[in-house]
Amino acid sequence: MNSSVVEIGTGSVVAAGRWCVVRTIAAKECLDIYRDSRVRWLAVLALLLMVCGLLFGIDQVQSSARDQAAAAQGDRQLWVGQGNKDPHAAAHFGQYAFKPQSPLALADPGVDAYLGTAVWLEAHKQNEVQFRPARDSGIAARLGNVSLAVILQTVVPLLVILLGFATFTGERERGTLRQLLSLGVAPLDLLLGKGLAMAGVLLVFMLPTLVGIVVGTLLSVDGAGADQWARLLWLALAYMLYLGGFVLLALAVSAFFSTSRAALVVLLGFWLCNSFLVPRLMTDWVRISQPLPTALAFQEAVAADKKKDFGHDEGHPAFAAFRDGVLRQYGVTRVEDLPVNFRGLALRKSDEIGYAIYDRHFGALQTRYEHQDQWRAVPGMVFPFLAIQPFSMGMAGTDSRSHAHFSHAAEQYRRHLQTVISSDLTENSRYGDVGYVAGPELWGRMSGFIYSLPQSGWALSAQIGNLISLVIWSGGVALLALLAVRRLRPV
Amino acid sequence: MLEAQSLTKIYQGVPALDNLNLLIPGGEVFCLLGPNGAGKTTTVNLFLNFVQPTSGVARVCGIDSAASPLLARQQLAYIPETVMLYGNLTGLENLDYFSTLSTGRRHPRQALLALLREAGLQEEAPLRRVSGYSKGMRQKVGVAIALAKSAKALLLDEPTSGLDPLAANEFARLVESLRQRGMAVLMVTHDLFLAKQCGNRVGIMQQGRLVALFDTCDTDHVGLERAYLEISRQTVAA
Repeated sequence: MNSSVVEIGTGSVVAAGRWCVVRTIAAKECLDIYRDSRVRWLAVLALLLMVCGLLFGIDQVQSSARDQAAAAQGDRQLWVGQGNKDPHAAAHFGQYAFKPQSPLALADPGVDAYLGTAVWLEAHKQNEVQFRPARDSGIAARLGNVSLAVILQTVVPLLVILLGFATFTGERERGTLRQLLSLGVAPLDLLLGKGLAMAGVLLVFMLPTLVGIVVGTLLSVDGAGADQWARLLWLALAYMLYLGGFVLLALAVSAFFSTSRAALVVLLGFWLCNSFLVPRLMTDWVRISQPLPTALAFQEAVAADKKKDFGHDEGHPAFAAFRDGVLRQYGVTRVEDLPVNFRGLALRKSDEIGYAIYDRHFGALQTRYEHQDQWRAVPGMVFPFLAIQPFSMGMAGTDSRSHAHFSHAAEQYRRHLQTVISSDLTENSRYGDVGYVAGPELWGRMSGFIYSLPQSGWALSAQIGNLISLVIWSGGVALLALLAVRRLRPV
Repeated sequence: MLEAQSLTKIYQGVPALDNLNLLIPGGEVFCLLGPNGAGKTTTVNLFLNFVQPTSGVARVCGIDSAASPLLARQQLAYIPETVMLYGNLTGLENLDYFSTLSTGRRHPRQALLALLREAGLQEEAPLRRVSGYSKGMRQKVGVAIALAKSAKALLLDEPTSGLDPLAANEFARLVESLRQRGMAVLMVTHDLFLAKQCGNRVGIMQQGRLVALFDTCDTDHVGLERAYLEISRQTVAA
């Protein structure tokens, strides 16, 4: 051996050098991953899947926006161009309100495809949203429609597990853990270094997709654009907590178990439970414990209540009571002597009775939906899929609550239309004046339905519980990982 | 520098190390001989705190390795029977990695190459991936890692096992140079000649106990071999 003496060490790691240690561990891990061709192929496949999911999402959002713009324009032309007619007949003629897709639907289409995209606004009746894209899709299209959110929620955690399951067990099996620990490296530094490397590698693989989301959002940003960025930031934070938790979990399990096989089996078991088994069980459990009325039962309940409303039935006891009250109010004995058209007043009254009935039934249904969502998300701090899925849909504006927000806005617009039409009838004609018609001037005066997506604060207010679950999940696994590396032994 | 005080390790009622008392000052090489299962590697593991002592204390430069394992390990360099390195990295990258982790700072490439040269690695080898290295080459990288750390104490666990005589001789010379730098060296080995060649003192262990102690200046190879064989026979008979 060479007899010259080279002195470079100090014999101890000072505090200032800890960051250098962490950085070195992270850099070495990245290099190791980069040189492992299996990991490269796996990452490329995941990246391809994400890019495909994103492109599909962008195409969906853009084609949906195009189709809706065309349909809304055609529907508006029909409404404005309906000619002279009895205003109430125009109310029955009706029009569509189209639900604009949230720009972030490109990342998470949520339940949009299953809850419909347009609602028919007509007199006396609050309709449900219809035209569900999922109904029009064949089975092949359904299987192929893997959204970016689904990939981030299920496939990327799998990639994290495959990247990380052997992080410590592999070192133990190769014998390098003995060498590593003999150096006096702090367990926390090991954890940080390896965790940073995995997070960094993940970020690099996801970077093209993140850029794609930003570009896609930029392309589809509308008036509420600034708020979309706030939503995007919340989404980024939630996914960081979700996937960061998986990185830490992989490290914790790898540090805890002595063989890579055991670590892989445990992690895959958890992944299966988190991604498929527990969500399915929770969905079934809330379906049984918080049952929803069937569509038929709901319609029958509404219809039963609607019998209290007189509608067009002048023989209805409530109609007579209302008429007598109006006559008393105006101090006349016949509806023909009223200074306003009693028919308009009666239609308005009938609508108001109907509004209360619809509000009660649809409100109860929405409350039940929200209870179901809340109960389903309870195990979200242990199985974070149950927290990230609703959070992602909520912040992307594609969950059932956002849908209900649209339905409510459309219903308010319908009520505004009914009020304008009934008022026109009341003020510009008299009872029995069957020849009264309104024209395009009135139809044009009623502006089309313009829907603004709710603000990010509104969306976040319903997702605080899920966000807390994600914080607890990532904090919990961080603690587990710390405990596991503290008891790390090479033998 | 290395001190064991009534150091004991019991596994499920069976003592792997029984009341070991040992003091190795700086500038001394202490060789531990003994048949398999005598407690030699357990002693090394206790100094590294890879296992917890049942009783007693293992100190490195006065630091209790059970109470402050990280601090104790930072004073130590360790070369196992087979130095396990990262096959995907080159010899130079492995040294860069381990030396940075042990000292908390990066070292210039030229200094690392000089260390590998000093450890006896051929000129072209440092830039090749370690997956293609022989065991001897790996041991040399291990020596370079120990050199880079400039530790005050060195633990060697059968470091020449499987090396050819030439490489083992080179290794012995290196241990001598480390001793001259003031390092306290504890070497576990089966190689009587290496123990006589490198050690200042030689201890023979049997069933967890240090049963014989020799000063290498007062003992020749034959005497050492005779004592070792006698103790081994007793172990087999027991």
